[in-house]
Amino acid sequence: MNPYVLMILISSLGIGTTLTFMSSHWLLAWMGLEINTLAIIPLMAQQHHPRAVEATTKYFLTQATAAAMILFASTTNAWMTGEWNIQQLSHSPSTTLVTFALALKIGLAPMHFWMPEVMQGLDLTTGLIMATWQKLAPFAIIYQISSTTNPTLLTTLGILSTLVGGWGGLNQTQLRKILAYSSIAHMGWMIIILQFMPKLTLLNLMIYIIMTSAMFMMFKYNNATKINYLTLTWSKSPVLATLTMPMLLSLGGLPPLTGFMPKWLILQELTKQNLAITASIMALATLLSLFFYLRLCYAMTLTLSPNTTNTSSTWRIKSPQMTMPLATISTLTIMLLPITPTIFSLIM
Amino acid sequence: MVYLVFLFLLGLVLGLIAVASNPAPFFGAFGLVVAAAFGCGILVVYGGSFLSLILFLIYLGGMMVVFAYSAALAAEPYPETWGAWSVLVYVIVSVIGVLGAGYWFVGEWDKFMWVAEEFMELGVLRGDFSGVALVYDLGGGMLIVCGWVLLLTLFVVLELIRGMGRGCLRAI
Repeated sequence: MNPYVLMILISSLGIGTTLTFMSSHWLLAWMGLEINTLAIIPLMAQQHHPRAVEATTKYFLTQATAAAMILFASTTNAWMTGEWNIQQLSHSPSTTLVTFALALKIGLAPMHFWMPEVMQGLDLTTGLIMATWQKLAPFAIIYQISSTTNPTLLTTLGILSTLVGGWGGLNQTQLRKILAYSSIAHMGWMIIILQFMPKLTLLNLMIYIIMTSAMFMMFKYNNATKINYLTLTWSKSPVLATLTMPMLLSLGGLPPLTGFMPKWLILQELTKQNLAITASIMALATLLSLFFYLRLCYAMTLTLSPNTTNTSSTWRIKSPQMTMPLATISTLTIMLLPITPTIFSLIM
Repeated sequence: MVYLVFLFLLGLVLGLIAVASNPAPFFGAFGLVVAAAFGCGILVVYGGSFLSLILFLIYLGGMMVVFAYSAALAAEPYPETWGAWSVLVYVIVSVIGVLGAGYWFVGEWDKFMWVAEEFMELGVLRGDFSGVALVYDLGGGMLIVCGWVLLLTLFVVLELIRGMGRGCLRAI
């Protein structure tokens, strides 16, 4: 790709999200979302590989549908109430429609079907952008409409996503699909708490972005896209393979790792709201996710590969990839729990 | 006038059915053009002549690009259309759907009517002219962003279909 075009696309990718962040007007927010979608499409189809093009087409169709639904709902709201402000979405059908559209955009169950397939068609760097940066703009809107959305709908979306994310990931051997299902499950946690304490949604999003970036960077460093590649990573970089186990368990939400923090706070808040059953269902549904994280751990660090290994470690030359971001973000993924009060006060 | 409105409405619905039912991009794009033309006619009847002119010019300009791209990317030697049974089924289903919707909404039809020419109060400007002025006055920054989006779309499309053999979006 021409560097000038690449520059235009990447800056538009940033500008789109920024526009959505700064807008209080539905039309501008919609434009930001559209710029965001349009700018990532050539980046996804960069290799012109049939799988990448297929994924790009699927992504474009879903995102265009979601954006059209957002536009339709916000126009209907303006028609009925004369109000374009994002936080003043008071017309009930429009609110529901916008919630569904945003759920489609971020891939919440039952609108999640595009997510694993799109993720599987991309390379790991683009997948990293998809799982992190592309979630920010929709969440900026979700956060703003949180006070007007239908609570039953949010709870249903949240519980369904966590369940589907866990169940869908169980039988997968492809790492990108597993990460997509992991994303769906985490989105469920973010949505379930949205109506009670939107700040926790932001906290969970932040922590999720840190954790999933660490996983994508680790897979990128090892050039691994399937579970059976993972069994050989210990000979390529033993330290990283060792560190990956706590990283995966952090993604699964085990104490005393970073991933426990949002789950802890969300469960506490749900319990405070007298929603013990919802809290229990969420916690139990996450066990499904934990199972496939554990499977990855098992393949990577807890077992020896069935291959014949002639040497204890492969010949290692200095990697051309940047290791500093990976080191930083994997440290954050593992060790952030003790500073929970600081992060909490930062968010509040 | 009533017959003219009837003709326009019929053309709009038939054009949209053509868009919905045709698998070939040629006829789909053609149906969209028909629908746009008759829709603009309806707008003229309701008083929005300037609005209709703008819509017709811009929409048909866009449609020409869509037609050119779809013809270049997915041209078929023997495209199927309303004569074929597989397409005719869709047409019949669409017609039944339209009739059903019409039957459902027939009592409240006049709720959705309005005049595009003027506002409720007394004014010296036509509604559609002053609307354009208002858009440029209040939404100038938004229009600049819109222009940027269109330019970005151009870059995106060019980047996606660049390269004869490599661009696998092409069917030919």
